[in-house]
Amino acid sequence: MNEEAVLQLRNVTKKIGRRTIVDNLTLDVQRGEVFGFLGPNGAGKTTTIRMIVGLISMTKGEALIKGVSVRKHFELAMTHVGAIVENPEMYKFLTGYQNLVLCARRHAGVTKERIKEVVKLVGLENRINDKVKRYSLGMRQRLGVAQALLHKPSVLIFDEPTNGLDPAGIRELRDYMRNVAQQEGIGVIVSSHLLSEMELMCDRVAIIQAGKLIDVRTMSELKNAVGHQQIIVEVENPVHTMEYLSTALPGLAISLQDGKLEIMAGRERIPELNRTLVYADIDVYSIRMANLSLEDQFLELTRGEQIV
Amino acid sequence: MSSFGMLLRNENMKIYRRPRTWAMVGILILALMLLAGLMKWDESSSQDSAANWKQNLMQDNEHMQQSLKEQAADSSPEMKQMMEERILLNEYAIEHDINPNENSLWSIVNASSMLIVLVTLLTVVIAADMVAAEFSWGTIKLLLVGPASRSKVLLSKYAASLLFALFLLVVNFAVSFALGAGLEGMDGLSQPLLTVGADGAVHEGSMLLDSLQRYGFSIVQLIMYVTMAFMISASFRSSSMAIAFSLLFILAGNTLVNILARYEWVKYLMFANVDLSQYVSGTPIRPEMTLTFSIGILVAYYALFHFITWIMFTKRDVAG
Repeated sequence: MNEEAVLQLRNVTKKIGRRTIVDNLTLDVQRGEVFGFLGPNGAGKTTTIRMIVGLISMTKGEALIKGVSVRKHFELAMTHVGAIVENPEMYKFLTGYQNLVLCARRHAGVTKERIKEVVKLVGLENRINDKVKRYSLGMRQRLGVAQALLHKPSVLIFDEPTNGLDPAGIRELRDYMRNVAQQEGIGVIVSSHLLSEMELMCDRVAIIQAGKLIDVRTMSELKNAVGHQQIIVEVENPVHTMEYLSTALPGLAISLQDGKLEIMAGRERIPELNRTLVYADIDVYSIRMANLSLEDQFLELTRGEQIV
Repeated sequence: MSSFGMLLRNENMKIYRRPRTWAMVGILILALMLLAGLMKWDESSSQDSAANWKQNLMQDNEHMQQSLKEQAADSSPEMKQMMEERILLNEYAIEHDINPNENSLWSIVNASSMLIVLVTLLTVVIAADMVAAEFSWGTIKLLLVGPASRSKVLLSKYAASLLFALFLLVVNFAVSFALGAGLEGMDGLSQPLLTVGADGAVHEGSMLLDSLQRYGFSIVQLIMYVTMAFMISASFRSSSMAIAFSLLFILAGNTLVNILARYEWVKYLMFANVDLSQYVSGTPIRPEMTLTFSIGILVAYYALFHFITWIMFTKRDVAG
């Protein structure tokens, strides 16, 4: 067992009837990292997260939080978990502070000072005594973060945390996550279907497709992956040119798309390519770079899979 | 891990911080005031006859004695016994100068026991809302993702519902006592309860005990209905549905039992057994029913309700 792993999933499986929603998920989340669950809608991200926090029962497998089994010792395991599952729903007829008091009472050892500290951390000091029904979604999100952090958890879980937030709110939440992960050594787990978001907040992502774990990659791995960039060349006779290039420059991956040549290579190959084409008397209209976005890579990875 | 006491405090906070709860308490107090006011008004409009109440009682006794003699053949033995007891009580009252028809503090407290029906309905609304509201608000996720097992959360909610019922009962008793004292004065406090014992003599009893007995029978009913509403709440997961069905069952259940009273199987329904006062004053719905039988049926239903509630709350996935 890894000492640093705050959350371990072992063969976590959920079946409803004959359908397998989540299939044998096994992964570790370390302390101090922001870990993303990435996948299209219906891939099983939310189901997985709900199994970790005990809202949905597991058909098979085990989730360990700081080595404590969620299935066998639910109460103890949950003392280490702070979570916002989907929208942070609060009691609207209570004030923000009263909502925090409710949460504080459920955990042993949360003092008034700690509540004040957390309120300050999320910047709600001025509005904490207002009723929650007068809060904007962004403020409710902050209050949600506050209640999740109140008992100093080791694992922080956010399920689709940016749903309905404006760009400023998203950015704010992202900064909180990064801060608490680094400063307090908390393992943060985030699920999202928005890759651009994950790119900015996660250290590692698990790509989930149709309930299966396809890959776990660090963000830098994903960014520097081979085939990250491509050169797009527009020529007079693309079919002929493609044949010529495959003999003249062996080892280049060339494909034909919409009458244009797509060459998987970096910027440094352009001069050489240009020279080859000119010497071969091929009419060139344009040569340009295209950055393959993370999104394209993600689609590449999950292409052709059906939603279960 | 959460302590049960703290969970209970949380549930209480959720009940008593809602304006709706205090509107309910207001309705109850208003109903009590209306009741006491009507009784006072009724009393003062018949002031003339109140002045010479001894004569009236004597007249009543003469009437009854006469009808006892005349219709001795065709009146039932229960009827006869009731009249004879009435005569005894009236004679005792005249002798000891206790006006039985005069309103006292205790008549208002006794009448307030009729309003336990209202207490029951109000508590049923709260209980039906207890679990279902958390689903409606979406706060169920917040509640369950915490260091408390679902059984513990459920128990704290049930306990809070019963405490609310107790709170309303205390309000009911205290407010009616205060209204009684205010309208009729405190002199009635030591007024005895007159009953005819098995020995055929008149006994003086405690009015307080009598009131508490009335309350006691109603509390059995209250607990059964609240437990049923709580089960419906855990099953439906929608406040409005849970409240509507709970009230519907209570209102329809009693009517149904009376309509179907001629069938023997009716005695196995909860609604036929829930009013235990039918064994003390009144006749049971089915002649073969006994107090022990009813208590047994109620205990069985109580256990069943709790079992279903527990299964519904702890074994189902929370999705969506």
